[in-house]
Amino acid sequence: MQRREFSKLLALLACSWPAGALAQASDADWSELFAQALEEFPWLAAWGNIDRDHYVSDAAVSGRWPEELNGTLYRTGPARHEVYGYRNHHWFDGDGMVHAWRIGGDGVRHQARLVETAKVKAERDAGRALYPGLAAAPPGAVGLTGPDDLNLANTSILHHHGRLLALWEAGSPYEIDPDNLSTVGPYSFAEPGGGSSMRGVPFSAHPRVDVDGSVWNFGYASAAGLLVFWHIGADGELRNAGRIAVDPMTMPHDFVVTERHLVLLLPPFHYRPRANADGFLNMHEWRPEDPCRVLVVDKNDLSSHYFLELPAQWVFHFGNAWEDRSGVIRFDAARAPDPSIMTQTFTEIMRGNPDYGRAVRHYGYRLDTRARTISEESMLEPGVFTEFPSIDPRVGCRQYRKLVFLSQSEADLAEHGTLNEVNLFDIESGRRDWFRYPDTQIPEEHLYAPRPGSEPESAGWILGTAFDWRRGRHIINLFNAEGIADGPVASAELPYAIPLGLHGKFVAG
Amino acid sequence: MKTNKLINASLLMAALGVYTQVAAETLTIVIEDIRDASGTVQVQILAGQAQFEGEGAEAQFLEQAVEGTLTITAEDLPPGEYAIRIMHDVNSNDELDANFVGMPTEPYAFSNNARGMFGPATWEDARFVLEGEVTQVISLVH
Repeated sequence: MQRREFSKLLALLACSWPAGALAQASDADWSELFAQALEEFPWLAAWGNIDRDHYVSDAAVSGRWPEELNGTLYRTGPARHEVYGYRNHHWFDGDGMVHAWRIGGDGVRHQARLVETAKVKAERDAGRALYPGLAAAPPGAVGLTGPDDLNLANTSILHHHGRLLALWEAGSPYEIDPDNLSTVGPYSFAEPGGGSSMRGVPFSAHPRVDVDGSVWNFGYASAAGLLVFWHIGADGELRNAGRIAVDPMTMPHDFVVTERHLVLLLPPFHYRPRANADGFLNMHEWRPEDPCRVLVVDKNDLSSHYFLELPAQWVFHFGNAWEDRSGVIRFDAARAPDPSIMTQTFTEIMRGNPDYGRAVRHYGYRLDTRARTISEESMLEPGVFTEFPSIDPRVGCRQYRKLVFLSQSEADLAEHGTLNEVNLFDIESGRRDWFRYPDTQIPEEHLYAPRPGSEPESAGWILGTAFDWRRGRHIINLFNAEGIADGPVASAELPYAIPLGLHGKFVAG
Repeated sequence: MKTNKLINASLLMAALGVYTQVAAETLTIVIEDIRDASGTVQVQILAGQAQFEGEGAEAQFLEQAVEGTLTITAEDLPPGEYAIRIMHDVNSNDELDANFVGMPTEPYAFSNNARGMFGPATWEDARFVLEGEVTQVISLVH
């Protein structure tokens, strides 16, 4: 027996989980605390709970839905926040629910279904919450055999080579039937020669689709101290994989891809393993005196890389990136000075403490791959706080000019205190057009939907959903991209609302 | 080799005055949820934290895999604290196969069915006291 190998492998079992921190909290019942807070802040319903595992309804349509717009907006998000009486201590710990908003000539129909993850099944069998999360563990939590024990399929959607995949931060994709949203199960990409070495390897929630239809992604395996890189062909078969050791590991959530490079920001939120941690975030330490490492990887040789440095910062999401002929990369990000939105805000909200630290501002970065330098500057005026950047998917990984994002303005905050504006921003001209949602609605991610046959970034639509907390309704809105400030040109409303989700993809056809 | 080890351990304990006579404990290990009769099931009985975290084993067994349940009886073990480590080497390559980041892709298990919280199971999770006759029922992790 290869004892040394066996021991070493087992020591690597603790690969990576999404984060969660804080929350030794009190022993007070978070469900009760949240219910009390809901009376004072009714918009907290957006972080409430689902009351069933499957929703389906036609939506009541208003305005004019364009005949050329046919397709499905697939979304996922944390939705089941209470498991058999235990309320999660972090927004991102909610079990994932996948949505399909089917838009066609005869109306808008909605369906949503809880993803039947291994966790959901195990907890149903046990009749109680079983697993630790980002910020805390339920009483009597059981141990783990690997990240997929905790896989929530609650973060983002990838629709690729005919498969619909619900993604989480640190485990396998979950395959979902695109027609009825039933769960097929954890998905493994085909490997050359029928191999299985990538089975169970973390696949992060923000893969990037390149111009040739191939997919790039990364994953982090904290205990192994490894960043993993994936390159998957348009046919869904693994083309290449790479590993880079990172010490200390951190929690990168998103990355960017250019013509020649992959770029990650590695915030100084250092992984500090310790036994018996009750939440994955609690195994990390924020060190603002340390730099944010910038990892630049060669697409043609996934082991070839170097590091640059930026001041300490925390980034969840990037918009896009591109690289010019002189080797200068430009990219943008929703940049926070620290991870408190992750470690505090999204924990406190779960027990009804609205504690928004408005600090996420949109930045542009200039990375010179020849001089090996990087600089950053704010793209927007002070007092505008952003998140959920997106682009016309036809310019992914290539030169781009327009960004869609949500924001809030310090001078005109909503009653609910979080994001309330949807924007179209022209990077070259600096022009920002936006629509301010009514205070009774909290917008979710908005996406650029190309008009069939149009040029990239030319007149298209912006499609997004919103949670109407006063009326308990979920809404989908369509804007003309070039007239976003005029408000939605068409809407559709459901007879119910589902807790705020995260990311999605619009699939035409 | 096993016999020598047991004798040595017993002599040592006797010399230390821990035991007035050689104790001979019996450990029964019931391995459940073996899903494939291919390959071998390898069992290590580890005496103490040092063996658990490092090299060596008090005793080892190598059995042809069977589908379902396999029972192994280890006799004549000195009393004390132990842990058990099991792997099902399905493809008989004498390794616990792992994926690209080192996570096992073949079944394995620890005594007490121990699992770590955000990391591997520790000695604290897996240890048990062997005194008299002890049975450990362990399900493989797949």
